[in-house]
Amino acid sequence: MSDRTWAEELEGQIPEQLGREIEIFATQMELRRRDEVDERLFAETRLRRGVYGQRYDNGHRHDGVTNRQLAYGEHPTKGPETVWDAPGMVRIKIPYGALTTEQMDVLAALAEDYSDGISHVTTRQDIQLHFVHIDDTPDLMRRLAAVDITTREACGNSVRNVTACPLAGVCKTESFDVSPYADALMRFLLGHPDVQDFGRKFKPALSGCAHEACGLVNMHDLGLVAKTRVVDGKEQRGFAFYVGGGLGAIPHPAQLVSDFVTEDEILPLSQAVSRVFARLGEKQNRGRARVKFLVAKLGIEEFRRLVFEEREALPHDPRWTEYMETLPEYAEKPARKGAALDLGDKALSKAFLAWHKTNVRPQRQPGYAVATVKLPLGDITSDQFRALADVAREFCGDNVRLTVEQNILLRWVSEADLPALHAALEAIDLAAPGAETISDITACPGTDTCKLGIASSRGLAAELTRHVPQLDDGGNGALKGLRIKASGCFNSCGQHHVADLGFYGISRKKGGRLVPHFQVVLGGKWIENGGSFGLATLAIPSKNIPEVVRRVTGRFLAEREPDESFTAFIERLGKVEVKSFLQDLTEVPSYEADPSYYSDWGDPREYTMDDYGEGECAGEIVPLVEFGLQASEREVFEAQLYLDSGDATRAKEMAYRAMLTAAKALVKTEFLDVTDDPEHIVTEFRSRFHETKRFHDRFAGPKFASYLFQAHEVGGNGGRPEQARERVEEAQLFIEAAYACYEKMATTPGTTGVTA
Amino acid sequence: MSVTGGGPLSSPEVSVKLFVADPAGVRLKELIPVLHRWIKEDLLPDELQIDVASYEHVPKGPGIVLICDKAHYYFDARQGRVGLRFRARRENRGVGPEAIARAFHAVLHAARLLEADPVLEGRYRFRTDELEFGIYDRLLAPSDESTFTAVRPDLEQAVRDLFETDDVELELSSGPKEPFMVTVRVGASPDVEQLLSRVAAAIA
Repeated sequence: MSDRTWAEELEGQIPEQLGREIEIFATQMELRRRDEVDERLFAETRLRRGVYGQRYDNGHRHDGVTNRQLAYGEHPTKGPETVWDAPGMVRIKIPYGALTTEQMDVLAALAEDYSDGISHVTTRQDIQLHFVHIDDTPDLMRRLAAVDITTREACGNSVRNVTACPLAGVCKTESFDVSPYADALMRFLLGHPDVQDFGRKFKPALSGCAHEACGLVNMHDLGLVAKTRVVDGKEQRGFAFYVGGGLGAIPHPAQLVSDFVTEDEILPLSQAVSRVFARLGEKQNRGRARVKFLVAKLGIEEFRRLVFEEREALPHDPRWTEYMETLPEYAEKPARKGAALDLGDKALSKAFLAWHKTNVRPQRQPGYAVATVKLPLGDITSDQFRALADVAREFCGDNVRLTVEQNILLRWVSEADLPALHAALEAIDLAAPGAETISDITACPGTDTCKLGIASSRGLAAELTRHVPQLDDGGNGALKGLRIKASGCFNSCGQHHVADLGFYGISRKKGGRLVPHFQVVLGGKWIENGGSFGLATLAIPSKNIPEVVRRVTGRFLAEREPDESFTAFIERLGKVEVKSFLQDLTEVPSYEADPSYYSDWGDPREYTMDDYGEGECAGEIVPLVEFGLQASEREVFEAQLYLDSGDATRAKEMAYRAMLTAAKALVKTEFLDVTDDPEHIVTEFRSRFHETKRFHDRFAGPKFASYLFQAHEVGGNGGRPEQARERVEEAQLFIEAAYACYEKMATTPGTTGVTA
Repeated sequence: MSVTGGGPLSSPEVSVKLFVADPAGVRLKELIPVLHRWIKEDLLPDELQIDVASYEHVPKGPGIVLICDKAHYYFDARQGRVGLRFRARRENRGVGPEAIARAFHAVLHAARLLEADPVLEGRYRFRTDELEFGIYDRLLAPSDESTFTAVRPDLEQAVRDLFETDDVELELSSGPKEPFMVTVRVGASPDVEQLLSRVAAAIA
């Protein structure tokens, strides 16, 4: 019983491809433990499996007085300056935020078993678990895979979670439901060869309409806004297609590539964008490696020309349109029949009515509503998550979505069931009203767990949550719809640029001591897909931010024109005036007068920047060829294991495959479209590397290449069983020769193709 | 059936929770500086203490957590019951009775520190007539009768030895989807200090 593993327990439940990927990752971990894989390469490998670093994982922590070493055990690192045993974060991709009740149960269990009992909903519809040990991650991934969830490419320089409007399919203002398109885009790009050589991450988003906030297309690397047109009397579906949006330190609005891309073209065009980004995007300077910088550098006209040129050259892929065959069947299944609710019913409680006012919106489908479960700081306990799954089973079925405002939506709730749903949510402390209002504050993890955090965004958000209910708008509702968002640093994970009141962490010095501050960013536009970015005004000490909120909202209430939006009000007020009426709040009392200014919210230690670390958001810049060569090493390692276990046939097969993988990695430096067909790989390798003598060894000449050709001739596992050991050794030598060839190429400018 | 040497109690993910005597006297926020001080002063010599995580904003949640390399210490309010939970992580601190004894030692040591902390002014006292034993390992210890049957002999004996009484009741208290939890009720309530010295002697 005690020897049983999750791999055995879940046998037959994990999709084959996902299972294979997890086994590969487990082997890569083993190779890193043996110090047989470079730490930089392993770091990017684990990031692409969603296994992320966390604060203090460099083995140091400032305790408020001194910087102390954390005496972890001696192991190889899991990345540059990243201790193997240090707890880390696992980011779990939830495409377009869609969850089933079974998945909720599993997520709840994983948070308990491997984390600290909290699932954190992120601003990109992911779930994050913190304080996870890397050794637990393969089992964690297996358990996720068994319910069709992957962490693949949740971090690193890859295509991140595909997000979408959480109301897709039930929204009254959308052109059509973007959910199946988001799903198709996610499945197409996940692990696609053309998205493996980016210099930075790449975030796609889809929205059902242009004017609401939900999809936030304007701030994404790739953005699709649904629209329709009539051609020959028939309605045609398509998307306005954007690229190059992004927040970060310097926000860029997305640029329009095409006003209407038909539904059958969105996948190939996304692939073409990926190829252009991989080929021309910055690879060395990570600060300028997002696609927004490439678009800015080339100009949208040239970028567009390159994308369409690339599109024309793409080899046909049937997956571009296969998903469309299933579109007519795509539908969500409600748990119950929809029925109306009489809100005038005297039996309805005040608490219910308050919750209904802010947390419920009617669906396009009569008799149904969407209920928002407001999560404090995006956190939900495992007990709550499990109970919420049961509530969903009863009231809405598998129609649950995570939102970028760190909440959970229950869709397809019969309106008549809303009072019972509210009671069920109250019983698990998830019936807080005020969803998507000024009291529903968004925050990234900040200094709580993020290596890049400068100030405590969660601490600030928790503090503001206590202050905001005290704000009085005189009942006119002017404040209700405002958004407050906080980021721990300028990288904008809290999406402060598109908030009415945004804050991002910075530090300032006073009398030789550091003081946590927030830069105040006012007047960002949440609607119109994050339509415009706020105005950075002043750096204010963290402890004065609640007063900033009080003053700014107070002035807005007092001086706004009828129906004037907060964005318009701030614009009218102007930066000079805003600065002037907040100026006094920039003052920091001396340490002796008030030491509380020198600590951050929720953290009593004296504030320092000593814990600030090298971020992993940018990942490691690892050329594509190195991933291929690493994969070949892993395969030859597996071949050796087969050999050791007496399975000569599989050992030979795996050794042959390892040579093919190494050969393919080299071919890909010049020819991205090489397929997985062994004949194709060998032909390309022969003409590009063997016949040109580039693969020749200085002393052994063509010897190592001949190992591949001989194995190929006998067809992988051919030959006598006793030749297995020989084949494994030949594969090892072939891979060494491939590395040597790659090194020669790397020292000859312009010869490594995709890494230029 | 004792399963010493294998089965559920071979899991390293063992936990013990002690409940506070006066939940009304608990203010989670005030524990944050206390636990940061524990780290600074290295008050848990058996642990590599890393950080303090605050979930005070989440009702009935993990509360305030002292994150260590191979254990977490929660001041939690799970299911509305406030208390101190020790939860071992990854490192097998013995199997069977030894795992139980080491978990008791860890939680009692931390409880004593809280009871004696000058900042907390004696407001944190722990009940010993009831506690919760758990295993956070759904593979080795699913929350069901078979796990309970397997764990019961060692757990019951460990509690009898520690409390020096036969008046011990065990009850499987977790649902099938929850981590395996047993409520332990004891007909004696020695103070934390006394229990700590007993368990320290037992594992020495």
